[in-house]
Amino acid sequence: MEPLKVIIVEDEALLAMELESLLEDSGNIVVGWATNFAEAKALVDESSADLAFVDLNLADGPTGLRIAEYIRDAGRSLAVFMTANPRSLPENYAGAIGVIEKPYTMNGLMAALVYLKEGVREPPPASSLPVGFVLSPHYASQWATR
Amino acid sequence: MDWKSRGESPEAWHMTDDLHAEKGKGDPFAAAIRATRMAMIITDPRHDDNPIVFANDSFLKLTGYERDEVIGNNCRFLQGPDSNPEAINSIRQAIKERRAVNVDILNYRKDGSTFWNALYISPVSNEAGELQFYFASQLDITERKRAEEHAIREKDRFEKAVAERTSELQDALEAKTALLHEVDHRVKNNLQMVSSLIVMQARAIPDENIRQSLQDMLARVEALATVHRRLYQSDDVARFEVSDFLKDLVGDVVAASKYAKMETRFELDSVEITASRAAPLALIVNELVTNALKHAFDGQDYPILTTRIAKTDGWLRIEIEDNGSGMGEPDTSGSFGTRLIQSLSRQLKAQISWNDIAPGTRAVIELPQDDAPKQPSP
Repeated sequence: MEPLKVIIVEDEALLAMELESLLEDSGNIVVGWATNFAEAKALVDESSADLAFVDLNLADGPTGLRIAEYIRDAGRSLAVFMTANPRSLPENYAGAIGVIEKPYTMNGLMAALVYLKEGVREPPPASSLPVGFVLSPHYASQWATR
Repeated sequence: MDWKSRGESPEAWHMTDDLHAEKGKGDPFAAAIRATRMAMIITDPRHDDNPIVFANDSFLKLTGYERDEVIGNNCRFLQGPDSNPEAINSIRQAIKERRAVNVDILNYRKDGSTFWNALYISPVSNEAGELQFYFASQLDITERKRAEEHAIREKDRFEKAVAERTSELQDALEAKTALLHEVDHRVKNNLQMVSSLIVMQARAIPDENIRQSLQDMLARVEALATVHRRLYQSDDVARFEVSDFLKDLVGDVVAASKYAKMETRFELDSVEITASRAAPLALIVNELVTNALKHAFDGQDYPILTTRIAKTDGWLRIEIEDNGSGMGEPDTSGSFGTRLIQSLSRQLKAQISWNDIAPGTRAVIELPQDDAPKQPSP
């Protein structure tokens, strides 16, 4: 499968760094790292990313949700939330595929990457839903075949 | 009735017929009405405006009027600006329909003071069925009304106080919940950063043994991370559901190992423990599973790891079972992992044993479900 082009939207440098390494180790391409809404918006506009991993709370406040809405409205990429507070997400997940709950394990994250790659490239994903990954109701009805 | 036999004038009965006579000496009923403490009047609807034709002393005493101020007038002079209109209406309606009525009405005395009047009015007809009089009795129930109003005011005041206190408690609870979520959020993020630091450090270390140590440490931190992901998910934040958590934890440790594709079996009863005991339990299970994966399966073509949890009589029994080479208690060398298991078991008041079940080893953790220690079940 063709590598995923990914945007990381995360204000914790450590987590962004680690996520970048994991993404690249697993054969995907990180096209950029944003820490706030403006940077994220610019990256979404400039790049043709497949996927954006979006933290809910960023350097400029709880703007993760707005970023996901912007990504949904731009219509060229898909968002996946990464948050320690998944219950604060709205029912429609702002159009995002789902949420990777923090704290995730390395194995949980790797499994989520495989699952998402399958879901983006050849939906629905062949792998089973990884532990710690929750699909939005919309994608659950589309993807949750197992 | 035989009036003569009682030695009374036969006129006496007729005297009571004349309602304008003030002394019905001969009639015990009339005497009773004149003398009773119950205020009573009689009105004559055959005259214009249904005037009062008789009033007893109690009525005069209750209302403060003289008899000549009362006789010949309609009794509405008892009403005033605050008299309750619905009572006035029901009196009016009953008179119009010539039927009895029973109402509480706010009335006025001559001096302008008010009293609550339990008024009872009933029509009196003659033998031919023609309406003759209305008979009315008045009972001063001001005290009762006052007590009722007081009770209602007290109830309102009490309800208001309860509502205010409830709202204060609600606010306090919301603040506490918000704080809990904030702290929870930070703990989760920090655990994530600790994991990331270990992973990044491990990546930079060439020595296989040191890297393995860091992997073991990562597994322990991730066991804690798995606990925290599941904490506060139930309505009762003090309780922690063990069985779903065990599935997550064991699944994750296995998937991160070289036996990622092995068969895992789960036989899990639904069990809750106090949230504060979740972390040590997670670390123990992590050590047992990690040990099994490291040592048990060399040479086993079809490795199986079975995780069980059962609850009996206040005790939890957790089993981690492999079908490996059956090396019994795997590590007696006093390694860090072993010391970790021993210390955490003491903390949980748990007992750990290893049974050779050839093929394989079954590690058994027995611990009291609640903090209070009991004797182990046989």
